[in-house]
Amino acid sequence: MIKHWWKVLGAGLVLYSLIVGLSVPLKSGVLDVSPSMLQGGKSYDLIINTYNATFSDENPIDVWIKVDDDNALAARAVKVLGETKLSAHFDIPNYFPNEKENWAYSIIINDKTNGAFIRPRSIAVKFDQINKEIWKNNPVGSLYKIDKMTFPFRSVLYETIRNTYYHVPMWFAMTIIFLVSVFYSIKYLRKKDPLVDLKVRSLTTVGVLLGFMGLITGSLWARSTWGTWWTFSEIKMNMAAIALLIYLAYFVLRNSFDDEEKRAKISAVYNVFACMAMIPLLFVIPRVVTSSLHPGNGGNPAIGGEDLDNTMRMVFYPAVIGWILMGIWLATLLYRVYKIEYKLLDDDV
Amino acid sequence: MKSIKFLLTFLFVHISILFSFAAETDDIFFRSGKIYIVIGVIVIIFIGIILFLISLERKVKRLENQININE
Repeated sequence: MIKHWWKVLGAGLVLYSLIVGLSVPLKSGVLDVSPSMLQGGKSYDLIINTYNATFSDENPIDVWIKVDDDNALAARAVKVLGETKLSAHFDIPNYFPNEKENWAYSIIINDKTNGAFIRPRSIAVKFDQINKEIWKNNPVGSLYKIDKMTFPFRSVLYETIRNTYYHVPMWFAMTIIFLVSVFYSIKYLRKKDPLVDLKVRSLTTVGVLLGFMGLITGSLWARSTWGTWWTFSEIKMNMAAIALLIYLAYFVLRNSFDDEEKRAKISAVYNVFACMAMIPLLFVIPRVVTSSLHPGNGGNPAIGGEDLDNTMRMVFYPAVIGWILMGIWLATLLYRVYKIEYKLLDDDV
Repeated sequence: MKSIKFLLTFLFVHISILFSFAAETDDIFFRSGKIYIVIGVIVIIFIGIILFLISLERKVKRLENQININE
């Protein structure tokens, strides 16, 4: 049992990512605000639809239109229309302190049970004049904070933000497993041990399996957020498909040799080149090309910036480690079968 | 050849699942904050592992037949 600790760890981390990743609720968020185009000098009753929030008449609710860091416009009256629906009355002044006209403003909702939440750039206000002097400074008041663990609410993504723990670790695990297979390929070329070649074969098989799972889950996710199963304008998606095709060719290459040693040698060399091709395809080109729908491309990696907050990191990194270990487990199982097959063949001869 | 066949089956099964999803209109995607997408993703990963297990079982079976422990 001691020997198998890493398998227990891998399965445990994947289980943890499933349980925590699915059970932690999303933070409250604003689904839509109507009307969203306002005219300076008029009064409006904004209807605000929210997600994962429960409002009641007992707690006072503040609603602000946030102009900038120092300035905000508070709602004169807030009415609860339903559990998740609010109506906020705003008197829009004739003057705004901004330099730009028709600026897109954020809306902030603040109450005790749900905590404060913001919808950036949700309201546009058209006003006739800009006047910093006449504007009465009215900053956002103190905001409630809730201690509950939540995942961030993002419009368009909504609950699918959880896919970060299932779709992305596939690619992490695939990359690591391909790198390990390259290590064994080089080892094969040095030692010429046929068993090492079988290790490479089982690792690449599992890597391709993980890659296809990443591709198909990504396709499903794309359908819900980008509106299409597959798009050729999305660079990372297509580069990943190309990288997987390169790896599929590895198996075709293997099967085209009858001579065992030749097969092992050429496929080991091919595997090194396939990995060298995969790295720019997945990690360089999507970052160089600026128009990518994937987060973090055309610049910094997604996991470094705002795309992953601290609560998500608590699930994401265990999921990555869990899937790497699971992938290695699958590969060792396959390798043991190949090894037995090989030994049996050896005995026959 | 086995692994290629396995991958092709894998692809085929998933594509057919995706299309059967598509037939049920967009509604299923956008209900309940798109939680069904997450379920779909987990199901796809689960199916992938099941297919891996099936192919592994077939390999083991072949070995069993070879050493005649099945009789």
